[in-house]
Amino acid sequence: MARKEPVRILVGTRKGTYVVTGDARRRRWKVGPVAHEGNEVYHVVADPRHPGDLYAAVNNPFFGPEVQRSRDGGRKWKEIATPLNPLRKDRAFQMNEASPSTPVPRPLNNLWHIEPGLASEPETLYLGADPHLLFRSTDLGRSWEPIASINEHPARKDWAPGFGGACLHTILVDPRDARRLYIGLSAVGTFRSEDGGASWRPRNRGVETPFLPEKFPETGQCVHHVALDAEDPDTFYRQDHGGIYVSRDRMDSWTRIGKALGGDFGFGVASPPSAPGRAYFVPLNDRARVIGGGHFQVLEWNDRRRKWRRLVRPGAFPGDFGVQREGIATDALDPPGIYVGTTTGQLFASPDAGRSWSLVPFQFPAIHSVSAASPASP
Amino acid sequence: MKRTVAKLEVRLDSWLREFGPKGRESVAADSVEQLLDELEGRYPKLRFKLRDETGQLRKYVRVFVDGKDVSGTSGVSTGLEGARSVDILHSIAGG
Repeated sequence: MARKEPVRILVGTRKGTYVVTGDARRRRWKVGPVAHEGNEVYHVVADPRHPGDLYAAVNNPFFGPEVQRSRDGGRKWKEIATPLNPLRKDRAFQMNEASPSTPVPRPLNNLWHIEPGLASEPETLYLGADPHLLFRSTDLGRSWEPIASINEHPARKDWAPGFGGACLHTILVDPRDARRLYIGLSAVGTFRSEDGGASWRPRNRGVETPFLPEKFPETGQCVHHVALDAEDPDTFYRQDHGGIYVSRDRMDSWTRIGKALGGDFGFGVASPPSAPGRAYFVPLNDRARVIGGGHFQVLEWNDRRRKWRRLVRPGAFPGDFGVQREGIATDALDPPGIYVGTTTGQLFASPDAGRSWSLVPFQFPAIHSVSAASPASP
Repeated sequence: MKRTVAKLEVRLDSWLREFGPKGRESVAADSVEQLLDELEGRYPKLRFKLRDETGQLRKYVRVFVDGKDVSGTSGVSTGLEGARSVDILHSIAGG
């Protein structure tokens, strides 16, 4: 992305979608257009392969989930195909709590994440949904193919939901190989596929489950979010219920890096393409689920130096702020911009890799997701 | 002998008119399920808005038959013999 290009921040909130456009210095912000009034928007993302195309995971509290697309940068939106739970007809998949031997059908619940495919697959999209469902579209959302290897996985009956539901919230594609996929599910853990989703292997070795009797099971981890290192796609940064981890071997093993912080619970993580080896986290008090210390804070992990750094001057923004799993984003500029949305509707922005911070002067509804896009990105 | 199914008057609330009929709609149906099938056939955008893919009414959709809320009781299997009107609304919820 060119240095002086304006940046758009796509904000999914409890009450709709907001497009926020910055000036070239990323210091002044204009809020609007606004869409999806009254809907829970769990994720909004730009498709860098098709400039102007945005996708939103819209969850209407009354009338159910919808995948929506805009082809003009967020001014107009239209519902495109929304998949159904593929297990509806051929197999029951949710046990009846009152009578555990009686399976009952369960509909598609909330949509959690939309991931555009690589440039080499210009019409591919991935969609993660509740209950633990993964879909792929090869026609830009005109139709969806359920990924049976996950949606009918034999161990599904043992997969537990997290507090937010049985969400499949993280989907990553290896930028070197479209057949290598990674997913994260709560509270199941991370999986890797080497064959385009035909088969998956759990990849959670080294990730502790403090909420289970067994501390290092193969699955059962409550992964909250994972970011991929743009320069070294073998490296991943993971915010888990059980702490902050890094993997440098395609998730074959994980090393906890957050223990030194004295508290490494949290939800979000982002890694900027222009500053490889860096990842940004917002650790939270694991009981109150707000940033500890009574002020806004963002931490940077430098994987080259193996060091942590606080990016916000303590006390600069007093308050108790929560941040959700999609609540941290970076843009592709150099230095990277960092954007953090809170559960109380503040959008914090740094145009210079965290050296300075300001609040976008608009009070949003509770923010579910933040992502960065540029109107002219390829 | 072929049985004649009486026609009912169906009304949707203002939010649902985005997907369905703008005013009163006349529909012949034996049950709420059949009525919804018919409505969804005429207005495909209503599919999966009122019912999820298991066929059950969504949690915050209310169906009133002659003024009586059947959503939490017999739901889509409610018979419509002798009924004259069906109102479909989203419930008051949220914040």
